[in-house]
Amino acid sequence: MPVAEFIVTAAQAWLWVGAAVAVVFLTFGMDRIDEDARGAYVFRPLLVPGVLLIWPLVLWRWWQIEAQAAPWAARYRPVRASYGVAVIAMSVGIILIVALGLNARQSWPADTAPVQLSAGTDG
Amino acid sequence: MSVKYVPVQWNPNKWLYDAIMLAAVAAFLWVFLYLAPQHDPAISAQIHNARAFGACAFMMLTVILCIGPLARLDRRFLPLLYNRRHFGVMTALVALTHAGYIVNWYFAFSSTNKYVGLLGANTSIGQVAGFPFELLGLFALVCLLILAATSHDFWLKFLTPPVWKRLHYLIYAAYFAVVGHVALGILQDQRDHTVTALFLGGAAVVVALHLGAWWSERKDTADASGAWAKVAPTAAFREGYARIARLPNGDRVAVFLMEGQLSAISNACAHQNGPLGEGKIIDCLVTCPWHGFQYDVRSGRSPAPFTEKVPTYRLRITDGVVEVHTDANPPGTYVDPLPLPKQEVVA
Repeated sequence: MPVAEFIVTAAQAWLWVGAAVAVVFLTFGMDRIDEDARGAYVFRPLLVPGVLLIWPLVLWRWWQIEAQAAPWAARYRPVRASYGVAVIAMSVGIILIVALGLNARQSWPADTAPVQLSAGTDG
Repeated sequence: MSVKYVPVQWNPNKWLYDAIMLAAVAAFLWVFLYLAPQHDPAISAQIHNARAFGACAFMMLTVILCIGPLARLDRRFLPLLYNRRHFGVMTALVALTHAGYIVNWYFAFSSTNKYVGLLGANTSIGQVAGFPFELLGLFALVCLLILAATSHDFWLKFLTPPVWKRLHYLIYAAYFAVVGHVALGILQDQRDHTVTALFLGGAAVVVALHLGAWWSERKDTADASGAWAKVAPTAAFREGYARIARLPNGDRVAVFLMEGQLSAISNACAHQNGPLGEGKIIDCLVTCPWHGFQYDVRSGRSPAPFTEKVPTYRLRITDGVVEVHTDANPPGTYVDPLPLPKQEVVA
């Protein structure tokens, strides 16, 4: 339970930090880095859940854009080159875990006749 | 080029897509809850609802994961791809409903915080039988929520398409976790083998389609000798359109024929990596089929006053075959078009 309590507390802290980042980013930051967002406000509440969940990535990209630190080629680097790795890992994992699950499956007690394990006592 | 953000982009096709999707979800839940034979009369309505939403989320995720490889294997499935983001958001909501029913039933009636109970009630992670399959479901749910929460166009532009797409590779981890959640969870106690067959069949189809699409893409990679990769014979080019080549490093290049001359640019639009090679040249500019961004195919630049740029590539013709240099030029670099022999031009 202490580990479970720690995880829940850490998750709550993560969301609170995310909320603080969301307030700053959505009211101030995004106007600085994205001209398409200037004057557009109705869509911003939709971004709150995303900032809450991935706020470290938001801060990293915000810094990259402000500092113009991203190399030009990174924007065009294809992702599909790693598609094969992802697909093979998923497929092998699925086959293994289904096999494990089917192997571990037990017969439902109601399907088998009851067996008396000890002699017991009469009367 | 600038497109102001709106909360949700809809058009008649998307309305139709969403309507069909919602109707299918409602029909699945209705059949599961009210028409399917009840094999376990001992369970409460709360658990029955949880199972209905869980099964629905699994089937939705299975369909979503089939759409991508189907569209790559057969272009007739492309219309299913265009609104997949709404489908994904709906799947996350259905999965969240499933989790809500579970947490508010199995872990709610105690002085222990229900989330602490969820994480700490079963810690037998070292064994298959009795494995805390809830953790796999929780992991998958977090993945689905991240994908749904970052589905707005803003995220694609802000994170850049490569980062956004890498983040969305979480879908594969999520699907593996969902399959594990089912295999080590409800499957251990499943007596309705219709559901078992749907589960095993769905997972098998996803695995087969993705492996098939991956194998098909591997075969389509352009042959490369040294720094040059083959695109197509000169006779294969059509005025105003492109041939798309996949380089050994995974880059895609669109080689256009314009006024009898060849030019090559990255196939990925600077806006959202839309497929420029599927656009047609009009007035010296190719228009991205996704959002209408335009580029001069000789320089990779948008017409003034716009400032978008994409990388360009060098071309040559060897033994009647057009070849592209595998190194991209920086975005916006002008490259002299390569004249195509006159008799080769197809009007």
